[in-house]
Amino acid sequence: MSLIVAEGLSKRYGSVVAVDNLDLSLDEGSVTGLIGPNGAGKTTTIKMILGLLKPDKGWVKVFGQNPWDNPAIRSMVGVVYEKAFFPAHQKTLEYLQRVCRIFGVPESRAMEVLETVNLQEASDREIRALSAGMLQKFAIAHALVHSPKLIVADEMTANLDPQARSELLEVVLQLHKDEKVAFLLSSHILPELSMVCDSVAIINRGKVWAFGKLTELYEKYAVGIIRISTDSSYALEAEIRKKLSYVKELDSDIRGISVRVVEGKEDDLYEDVLKLAKNVKAKILGIETGSASLQELYRMAVSGKESG
Amino acid sequence: MGKGKPFLEVLASAIHEDFRFPFLELFAFLYTLGTFALANFTVGVYSQMATNEAVAYAVTTSLISFSLLIFLILVFKNIAYGLGNELEKGIIQTYFSYPLKRRAILTAKLLSGIGFSLLLFLGIQISAFYILAPDIVLPQFGTIVLTYAASLSYPLFLSAIILLLALKLRRGGIGLVVGFILYIAMSIVSGLVLIVATATKSPLVLQIMSFISPNYALQYHYGGLATVPELSLPWTPTLYEATLYVVGSYVIVAALFILGYTYFSRRLNL
Repeated sequence: MSLIVAEGLSKRYGSVVAVDNLDLSLDEGSVTGLIGPNGAGKTTTIKMILGLLKPDKGWVKVFGQNPWDNPAIRSMVGVVYEKAFFPAHQKTLEYLQRVCRIFGVPESRAMEVLETVNLQEASDREIRALSAGMLQKFAIAHALVHSPKLIVADEMTANLDPQARSELLEVVLQLHKDEKVAFLLSSHILPELSMVCDSVAIINRGKVWAFGKLTELYEKYAVGIIRISTDSSYALEAEIRKKLSYVKELDSDIRGISVRVVEGKEDDLYEDVLKLAKNVKAKILGIETGSASLQELYRMAVSGKESG
Repeated sequence: MGKGKPFLEVLASAIHEDFRFPFLELFAFLYTLGTFALANFTVGVYSQMATNEAVAYAVTTSLISFSLLIFLILVFKNIAYGLGNELEKGIIQTYFSYPLKRRAILTAKLLSGIGFSLLLFLGIQISAFYILAPDIVLPQFGTIVLTYAASLSYPLFLSAIILLLALKLRRGGIGLVVGFILYIAMSIVSGLVLIVATATKSPLVLQIMSFISPNYALQYHYGGLATVPELSLPWTPTLYEATLYVVGSYVIVAALFILGYTYFSRRLNL
């Protein structure tokens, strides 16, 4: 069953097209990442899914219903915004107890969710006294109060330190595993998304560039990609750019280089790369064909390559 | 999951924020001070009144005058600044994640921002009446109620405008500034109305103004606060006409609030 279905979703802000004819679906129990550069339309898409924005064209259904001003849906959805704001002068535990009463769940649930995000020690603190990271954890606790079937989170880990991020990802994985909670997670932190997501929608300029199971996307978009793992990727990248004219595309990060070459030149690449690595004293840790990462898919989308 | 009480909890949360320490204490004190200490019961003035109704009207307006200003300030704080800030910062978005219709969220905010303020105002006013002028409460009950209705219409009109501004601007600080500018502009216009009416020898501007502030109609009906022989009034509406202005003004106030509700429920994109 699809928890979220969107078809032809479009939204403009004046002359700026934020979301353009976007199709999306999210299945029960899945963890889907929504990725794209700044201004790609992720937050606008999420706001339309949550019924905060009305689409100009197209439609979206959440649990089979229009989310605009629909209280029935909200009992099944938990929301975490990029910047979390709550009534500032109330204490964390007291406010969560209020939220328990709003949803009709036992008040003891308030402490449980604070413990889930490791915030029990701040239970007596006013919300305004929380740090940005604590506030984000509080927002996640707030989203968990009514044990929703779906959690929609926009840049959920943006304000957290690495330790808190990994704790939170553990929470996501745990909820997904134990309670079959589905997630729609928008984030810029791609390694995190690739850890927890089973599907991704890559958005650029308001359109879905690619959408599907991560494994299928890797397979589809990895054709022709050769991944060189090295300890000196930027120096080697410069050398490859200078010397190897048959290289069509080249991307590097700190751990290695992704290369696409003209057809039939794959074998040449192995030999040439080993030679060039010697020149720049780079250590080659491995060369793999047909391997893509979420980072590479993201780069392809952002560089405007045609989607398959 | 049992049945929750989302409306009552959002209302309680809104009251908690709007009247957190020291606002409730401060405004309750100002209401009390304005009602008991600053009411202008000048015996000489009342002795010149033509009727008991006019006396009741004058006593009521004396009791109300300063407290109405406090009421307006409180409403500005709660709506222009409070609601505007909540829209700006995203607290309303948080409320939108609760199983509650948009109109119910706005009702909770208005009940806290305006309703609770009004309750505080009326509570202190009624107590003051029974303490300061017990003899006129029951015999002149109708006049007193009409005077309250006429006096409260204008602040409620401004509150509705402030609400629309807060929804449109979605900025707490700017909403507050624009609200005060509007209040000052309206006060200047009100001051000019009598000059224009006297100069043109036509009550038209007073009649128009009475739809916004029906206290004008009531004031001219009772012949001003005192029956000063040399003062010739540009307009003397009957009680029936003055009551129609009161009703008309509430129709305008209701229309503005309905506009606010419609915008909040159907058009407000966050």
